[in-house]
Amino acid sequence: MKTFKYMITDPVGIHARPAGNLVAEVKKYASKITITNAAGKSAPAGKLIQLMGLGVKQGEEITVTVEGEDEDTAATAIENYLKANL
Amino acid sequence: MALDYRKAAQGVLDNIGGASNVASAAHCATRLRLVIRDNAKVNKEGVENVDGVKGCFEASGQLQVIFGTGTVNKVFDEFIAISGVEAGTKETAREAAAQKQNWFMRGIKTLGDVFVPIIPAIVASGLLNGLLGGLSQAFPDMAGSDYYAMINLMAGAALTMLPILIAISAAKKFGGNPYLAAVIGFVMIHPNLVNAWSVASMQAAGESIPVWHVFGLTIQQTGYQGHVIPVIIAILFMSFLEKWLHKHVPEMIDLFVTPLVTVLVTGVLTMTIIGPIFKVVEDWILLAATTLIQLPFGIGGLLVGFFYAFTVVAGFHHMYNMIEAQMVSENPPANIWMPVATAANVGQGAAAMAVAFKSKNPKTKELALPSSLSAFLGITEPAIFGVNIRYRTPFIAGCCGGAIGGMLASWFGIKATAYGITGLFGFLITTDFWLQYAIVMLVSFAVAFAVSFVTFKDPDKVMEEKGAAAAGIPEAKAEEIHAEEEKKAETGGVQTVYAPIEGTAIPSSDVDDPTFAAELLGKGMAIQPSVGRVVAPFDGTVEMMFDTKHAVAVASDSGVEVLIHVGIDTVKLNGKGYTPHVSSGDIVKKGDLLLEFDIDTIQNEGYKVTTPVIISNTEDYKEVRAIKTSGPVKPGDPVIEVEP
Repeated sequence: MKTFKYMITDPVGIHARPAGNLVAEVKKYASKITITNAAGKSAPAGKLIQLMGLGVKQGEEITVTVEGEDEDTAATAIENYLKANL
Repeated sequence: MALDYRKAAQGVLDNIGGASNVASAAHCATRLRLVIRDNAKVNKEGVENVDGVKGCFEASGQLQVIFGTGTVNKVFDEFIAISGVEAGTKETAREAAAQKQNWFMRGIKTLGDVFVPIIPAIVASGLLNGLLGGLSQAFPDMAGSDYYAMINLMAGAALTMLPILIAISAAKKFGGNPYLAAVIGFVMIHPNLVNAWSVASMQAAGESIPVWHVFGLTIQQTGYQGHVIPVIIAILFMSFLEKWLHKHVPEMIDLFVTPLVTVLVTGVLTMTIIGPIFKVVEDWILLAATTLIQLPFGIGGLLVGFFYAFTVVAGFHHMYNMIEAQMVSENPPANIWMPVATAANVGQGAAAMAVAFKSKNPKTKELALPSSLSAFLGITEPAIFGVNIRYRTPFIAGCCGGAIGGMLASWFGIKATAYGITGLFGFLITTDFWLQYAIVMLVSFAVAFAVSFVTFKDPDKVMEEKGAAAAGIPEAKAEEIHAEEEKKAETGGVQTVYAPIEGTAIPSSDVDDPTFAAELLGKGMAIQPSVGRVVAPFDGTVEMMFDTKHAVAVASDSGVEVLIHVGIDTVKLNGKGYTPHVSSGDIVKKGDLLLEFDIDTIQNEGYKVTTPVIISNTEDYKEVRAIKTSGPVKPGDPVIEVEP
């Protein structure tokens, strides 16, 4: 299992477009990827509604948990993706 | 191997702190819905790891465990059995609603539920039959050709094997195993039995029908071709027996003991008691019909014309070929039954056509028009079961048309020279009476169409009015509507998403936001709101009322997730201008108010109120179709169809 933290810089937070793109990115990997918001609520990163439901805002620190066969690749890729897009 | 429902139920129970921690339990089409006393005792991951569980989440006081259609009810039964928890109000309310319908309507509905799924098979072979009949009347040489013989084989297949189709469908309706039911169907028309249609000719030729001597009974070895009631009763019995056995036979030997005993007991009872008794019941009804049509002064025609469609519903009409065959074998041929049947069929077709013209629901139109056309060719099942019975008044309207037309046919004494053909192709076998035959059809059509057009009320319109006065819906009625929609979900039908907002419909591609325009979050459509009210697009659960209140996601009981995103980029408003009326996890009915928003406030802040309505789990479905993308929409108008 791999875990890392990331601070959201996108002005709308994890919402419509960024969320949709993140879901698409997450679905490329076999690992189970979970995102936990600052309040401790978590959601599967592949589920758009639940992900958006976390209501993650700009400046909020999220915890990303990656678990599965390709967790190393997936964790690196998701981290890079977040840095580039969120 | 099938899921062990008891184990699954036990697994869930073990992971939620046992029966004492369950305040109440209910289930919908896909989920077990549990009200938990102490959430700390719930091990959600443990629940998710139970075999058969597809997901588990908590929503305002309810722990919802997803099992999926067809599974959840069985797990629920076990859950109730093991835990001793009383079944939730949802279930009891539904039962109460079902009991309010009288036995006749329930009976009709059950028959409809059994026959609707097999309509495609009947239509295919029925139309082949009708076309072959018409063509070979026009080109007499054709009947002798090999093409005719080959296609005739196909045309006859579904009707010859009808008991099997009925058995499978009935098993699905009554909760039995469809494969075991098919076996019972096979038994009833086994080729080693004397074909029911050959019995008369064998007896006429002086041959004797072989018999069995069992249990002190003498049973004729005849099949059940063309019989409907015996097979339905047999499968009803089988389903009860099978379910009882599943409950009482120890798990270890259930796999082989239950099928063995089910088939053996049902088979023997069907051959010895159920079959012969209900065959006689069917025969009596047939005899009554024969006597009826021969009443003088057209009274017989009137009565038969009226009740003909009822007999189609009950399935007796498969027997009419026998009466007609007898009439045709007279010299000269005098099939007086067929013109009355035509009047009844044309009446049902015309009634369905009136529905097609009057209904505003595109789906109803799409179904009603071809159904009515096929009725004019003699295939009435789609019109009767698919359209007229569902709305009830068109069915009666069709019967009225049939009555008047039937009376005329009887008066005119129209005699057909063959059988198996009705409707428009009937001209080919009524050449001596073509004018009278045309009058019969025209009169039946006119009467049925007029009565149906006047009495039919679009239920969608009715629903909408109810939606506007949501509080006015009596609870039982609402539950009934809900139950019906769940039924649709259970049969794997298309889920319709109804407009949640009043305004103007536009295609997703016209939304001024690249994400929604490209449908990256899912397929759907959008609404340019004119009224700031969002209502539930179907019965279901509020999956998510966003903290920022500008969007709400609703999941239907069959699992379709709709995201209604009010405005573009409005997440930045942080709730300003929005007033939510529900919260995540609430159970809602179609038309319930979810959210109010102030169009002016939002626009003054510089945002568009364009509201995409999308299926956020589009990838789980075969097809998501936007069926309304232009013009005005009102809550209750169908806008999206989701095909599993």
